[in-house]
Amino acid sequence: MARMKFLCDSNRCIDCNGCVTACKNEHDVPWGINRRRVVTINDGRPGERSVSMACMHCTEAPCAAVCPVDCFYTTADAVVLHSKDLCIGCGYCFYACPFGAPQYPRAGNFGSRGKMDKCTFCAGGPEPDLSKAEYLKYGRNRLAEGRLPLCAEMCSTKSLLAGDGEIIAQIYRERVHKRGYGAGAWGWQVAYRETVTT
Amino acid sequence: MLIRRERNDRSRTRSDCVVPASATVDRRSFLRRSGLGAGGLLALGSLPLASVRKSAAGESTLEIRKNVCTHCSVGCSVRAEVENGVWVRQQPEWDSPINRGTHCAKGASIREIVRAERRLRYPLKLVGGQWQRLSWDQAIDEIGDKMAAVRQQAGPDSVYMIGSAKMTNEAAYLFRKFGAFWGSNSVDHQARICHSTTVAGVANTWGYGAQTNSYNDLRNSKTMVIMGGNPAEAHPISMQHVLAGQEINRANLVVIDPRFTRTAAHATRYIRIRPGTDIPALWGMLWHIFENGWEDKDFIRRRVYGMDEVRKEVAKWIPDEVERVTGIPGDQLKRVAEMLAKEKPATIIWCMGQTQHSVGTANVRACCTVLLATGNVGAPGCGANIFRGHTNVQGATDLGLDVTTLPLYYGLTEGAWRHWARVWDVPYEWLVSRFDGIPSKGGRPARTPKQNMETPGITSTRWFDGALLPADDIDQRSPIRALMVFGHGGNTITRLPEAVKGLGTLDLLVVGDPHPTTFSALDARRDNTYLLPICTSLESDGSRTASNRSLQWGEQIVKPAFESKDDYEAIYLLAKKLGLAEQMFKRIAVDNNRPSSEDILREINRGGWSTGYCGQSPERLKAHMKHQAEFNIVTLRARADAPEVGGDYYGLPWPCWGKPELRHPGSAILYNTDLHVKDGGSTFRARFGVEHNGETLLAEDSYTRDSELVDGYPEFTVAVLKKLGWDEQLTPEERATIERIGGDKVDAVTWATDLSGGIQRVCLEHGVCHYGNGKARANAWNLPDAIPVHREPIYTPRPDLVAKYPTRPDERQFRLPNIGFSVQKAAVERGIAKQFPLILTTGRIVDYEGGGEETRSNPWLAELVQEMFVEINPSDAGARGIKDGQWVWVLGAENQARAKVKALVTDRVGPGVAFMPFHFSGWYQGRDMRGFYPPGADPIVLGECANLVTTYGYDPVTGMQEPKATLCQIQAG
Amino acid sequence: MRSRMAALVLAAILTVGAVPAMAQNNAPSPTGSNPTAQSVTEQQVLEQLGKVKGRGAIPDPKEAVLEQPQGREYQAFHERLLPWIGGIVILGMLIALTVFYLVRGPITLDERPTGVRIKRFTVVERLTHWMTAASFIVLAITGLNYVFGKRLLLPLLGPEAFSVWSQWAKLLHNAFVWSFLLGVLVTAMLWLKDNLPDRYDLEWLREFGGFFSHRHPPARRFNAGQKLVFWSVVIGGGILILSGIVLLFPISSLDINSLQTAQYVHAVFGMMMIAIIIAHIYIGTIGMEGASDAMVSGEVDLAWAKEHHRLWVEEEGARTPDGPQLGRTVPAE
Repeated sequence: MARMKFLCDSNRCIDCNGCVTACKNEHDVPWGINRRRVVTINDGRPGERSVSMACMHCTEAPCAAVCPVDCFYTTADAVVLHSKDLCIGCGYCFYACPFGAPQYPRAGNFGSRGKMDKCTFCAGGPEPDLSKAEYLKYGRNRLAEGRLPLCAEMCSTKSLLAGDGEIIAQIYRERVHKRGYGAGAWGWQVAYRETVTT
Repeated sequence: MLIRRERNDRSRTRSDCVVPASATVDRRSFLRRSGLGAGGLLALGSLPLASVRKSAAGESTLEIRKNVCTHCSVGCSVRAEVENGVWVRQQPEWDSPINRGTHCAKGASIREIVRAERRLRYPLKLVGGQWQRLSWDQAIDEIGDKMAAVRQQAGPDSVYMIGSAKMTNEAAYLFRKFGAFWGSNSVDHQARICHSTTVAGVANTWGYGAQTNSYNDLRNSKTMVIMGGNPAEAHPISMQHVLAGQEINRANLVVIDPRFTRTAAHATRYIRIRPGTDIPALWGMLWHIFENGWEDKDFIRRRVYGMDEVRKEVAKWIPDEVERVTGIPGDQLKRVAEMLAKEKPATIIWCMGQTQHSVGTANVRACCTVLLATGNVGAPGCGANIFRGHTNVQGATDLGLDVTTLPLYYGLTEGAWRHWARVWDVPYEWLVSRFDGIPSKGGRPARTPKQNMETPGITSTRWFDGALLPADDIDQRSPIRALMVFGHGGNTITRLPEAVKGLGTLDLLVVGDPHPTTFSALDARRDNTYLLPICTSLESDGSRTASNRSLQWGEQIVKPAFESKDDYEAIYLLAKKLGLAEQMFKRIAVDNNRPSSEDILREINRGGWSTGYCGQSPERLKAHMKHQAEFNIVTLRARADAPEVGGDYYGLPWPCWGKPELRHPGSAILYNTDLHVKDGGSTFRARFGVEHNGETLLAEDSYTRDSELVDGYPEFTVAVLKKLGWDEQLTPEERATIERIGGDKVDAVTWATDLSGGIQRVCLEHGVCHYGNGKARANAWNLPDAIPVHREPIYTPRPDLVAKYPTRPDERQFRLPNIGFSVQKAAVERGIAKQFPLILTTGRIVDYEGGGEETRSNPWLAELVQEMFVEINPSDAGARGIKDGQWVWVLGAENQARAKVKALVTDRVGPGVAFMPFHFSGWYQGRDMRGFYPPGADPIVLGECANLVTTYGYDPVTGMQEPKATLCQIQAG
Repeated sequence: MRSRMAALVLAAILTVGAVPAMAQNNAPSPTGSNPTAQSVTEQQVLEQLGKVKGRGAIPDPKEAVLEQPQGREYQAFHERLLPWIGGIVILGMLIALTVFYLVRGPITLDERPTGVRIKRFTVVERLTHWMTAASFIVLAITGLNYVFGKRLLLPLLGPEAFSVWSQWAKLLHNAFVWSFLLGVLVTAMLWLKDNLPDRYDLEWLREFGGFFSHRHPPARRFNAGQKLVFWSVVIGGGILILSGIVLLFPISSLDINSLQTAQYVHAVFGMMMIAIIIAHIYIGTIGMEGASDAMVSGEVDLAWAKEHHRLWVEEEGARTPDGPQLGRTVPAE
């Protein structure tokens, strides 16, 4: 069984935001919700590196653990999803998420955040696969179509990899070996409790 | 909490990264558990999900359409899923060898611009400052009448026409044809402000002024010098190939730029340079090369003319002087020079950083010279990799939206006009009659209509000077009285305040665009302004030429939205109204007012011999799009046995010689003598003559593989053919055509004017290049600076250097006076550099494109950059009490212009340099102009135009503007 | 657009800081450098800063935090530590009180009630108390739901019903903050003077209020135990309110880690306060005969008053020239 993961190769990421708008496009994500974002460290200086970040679908996902209404579930592919019907918009998942993945439609004043939304690894949600209800609430379900997340498929430099963790780790390893350098798999230690040895 | 799932196998589509496991998620257990499966849902849940999906698929009318992203010149394929005529989804187009399914932010969000809520929906007219709706018929009627009136009063030259780099090749060609039939050479487009200097400079060096290799070919490079370009933001997908090359070959990636750009962050070496000092830097590199004897002497001997004169100029650029002028310390350039010379194949990549200067043409020629000196032209992995701007700026340039030429670089000579008269099947005399004469002005001689027809028009960078300057200064019957802009931004040309004044003087302004554009929101006019909704290029079929010269045929994804029409129909309607349609569309089928794009391309093929646009028929191009997967990602070539496209290079990159039936494969790498001409090999064009100052201009000991002529040779005319006895191989039809063309001067018919294609065919058979086998010129004696010389920007922070490196003397160019020298002198005398001590440079950001009206109307992009900004170095900010994110005023050195923007305090720019992106408009000197847009058609994000504060400065060869190096002051606001 | 307003507000407040966010006036010129060789790694940044922050396209500065491993610490706190703390503190208190009740029994009056009543709390004081109390109870229950709801209630109600209940609980929790806030403020105003420490407090505490010794250490209007409750409510309640408001307006805190800190404080203080108030409720109801009278009717029997707040009675009596202030006289029957 595949264990799905994301890996952003920061040595290739050029902060083109292709992953960001691909996600917006595919799932019709409204203004204000940023399922995926690119953060640039050391902006403007040698050492500058950009990393594309969305939900990492962690092992023992902190969001799922702290949710007071237990609205999360993990699929057989280790994709962490949640039910917007059960979500009460309390915001705990945002406090717990090391990667800032949970997004809320409203600023959250007076505790009115609205239903949490986040990257679904293009795997939809609890509604029936490929149904309209699923699309309206969670976006497209590419995994059910046998595809992979669009952000990674459209990444301009093939920096963002998504898919079976073993395979993308191998791809990354080979890449690092071939070119002689690699910053590592950002977030893997915190998300998956392991790193990619290169 | 983990919930066990059942497996459910699905069919899979090809996936690049990873083979997905049978990735399905059965929701039934969760639904039941969560109690949501009550009633109907549970019943649904009990159906096997596969059957649910199948029936859904069977009922849809899902179609796949392919087009090309309308933004930059990389030419990424867009794969659109269309359902019932609505574009519902985008998928990666894995098959495209250029982008392999990938996109940047703009390409990945491009579906939005077609459903865009903020587009122009129907024609609008400005009446008393209010927008009124009208029908297309009414609009065309009124516009036609007004144009006719202006023509009558002031002559055809008084109408200025700007076409678009987003037009397809066919539309650009039509637009140029329209201009020719109208009777004016003032037809221009974005290339003027983008790579006009490249085209002129590079063509004057070795024949054609386009990218010599390709984006994909960068995978072969061992050294890439990116100087004056920021592909990470301007051509993101090119970085896929750049970084791949860097990784595969452990290549050197050198970035020379005033800013530490996002591209520089991935470089193996970064060098900071003062804007506008490229020639000293390049000569500084060449100095080291000559000094150490690293030049490729053999290559120079065989294929380069004039290097010795270059040596003289280069000798002046010792490292100390280079440092004094450019700011590049000591021997940082030495290492780069060594890489270029020794770690080959090496290439130089450039974009606006080289071109947008008053010495742009000289800049690019210096780049070419460095490449020639190191033997880095004409092979995989090297060459001049010129990254062009918009989708089809290459194609639109090729097809003649250029005040200096007719389509396909024939120029404006009588021969050129006669050639096109033949192709267009209209009498040459009639074309002459469409033109005005030029009266004698300011003591300058008058010109006949024929002479006017052979004189370049006014450049788009100065159309407003053509309206505002005293009539005596303008070499045409009357100043500009009307402006027709199809798909060009109003905020991308320098000296915006003066353009605003110019707009106010016009009798007529017509804007044809998917969006209202800056022109509608400048508070410059109250009447006689028309907005015509033209659809985006995704709603239009046709071919587009990417920067690497590949032509890609795009399908119409969906019909034009709202009441918009495509360029073909709009031009047809206008031509019809003006009584030109019958002549213009003689061999182009028109169905329901819409000309056939295939027919237009066929006409281009029939006339496009000079540039090798003759072999790319619609059928061949469509086959390429169908069989994209057949093309190799590095060589861009399909295997010989591939169906329909065997042996072709992807997109039949021009030159693609001969008639389409000849199936020339196109030329992926220019000037590559390692290949047979039938395999895309070629030589440097012998376009400058056979000899100069007693030295031969023909190649020595250099020729294409298996060429029957084993030395340099001139361009082929019938005379040359006869001399070689090859004229016997012309077919009777070919001969007949040639004789018809030549009349009593048959021998003078050339490879470019031979409509039969016979000369080209015969030459290809003999393995020779019909355009001759010449040497590249390091010395372009017909240009203002035959050897590139450093000249300070008009507004320079170094007045001390102006005496030694002044700009060119005042001169008349393109019908107007170019007073750059006087302006520079005045700036020095008035101490402008003290009042405005910061260098202002402009450029791109990845999220927006061009003038920005289209991308800033796309919410998915607009969210990413919500405010206009100026990058300022922390020390400059500290000295001015400016904090990050604070409002500031950027003060320009001319027109007392000022722009209110947010400060982005960053080390990206060095001390003394500030950067503004040029994609914004909608504010004017602190005033929000949103209310001036037609309701509902204002972009989401508005901001100040960078060109509010840019200044005078024009390249003498092309009229290119100088937005890359001017001066400003920044104040806390 | 709301989010644009938010963006403007944020932009007005602060800067999107690059890392490190100091004004680098003398950063060395990068010319001649090898940027690839200098590229940062996750390890470097984490070692330097404890989290990974940069500059992003989205105006909200929280989005510029790439990685904050403290989220895992939050997870550990919220799911492992906090339930234990809550369980121990609250259950412990309940157990302790039960044992106390069983062993010691309620605190009864030694003397027989006199039938004479003395006014102890005014209408305003009582209303304030009950408003605060009711608010607290709602806040406590709805607050506990965040931690224990899914453990205790979800299995009973099922996910959908539990979600609906939790949704309401959240709304109630956020709504009742304001009445609680008002209550605490007025309580503080009304009773601050009477709850300042005095010299009888130490003795009262040493004798544990006389609960076990069956004695009645002297006390003024409020004994030390009550003062402890008062100050817990004012300070503890104040901290709860402040931390709660920070959480209620995430826009006020532009840093995820300070939001987490607010949560830690809020949750721990909440648990403690619940335990304290449970004890307060105990002693105010079944734990002491005659105590509830005070806050319900506002009057207490003179005997009760003399036993538990002798000095207060004397002070009150000292107030009128005619001897002890007498409320309603109930003829002994």
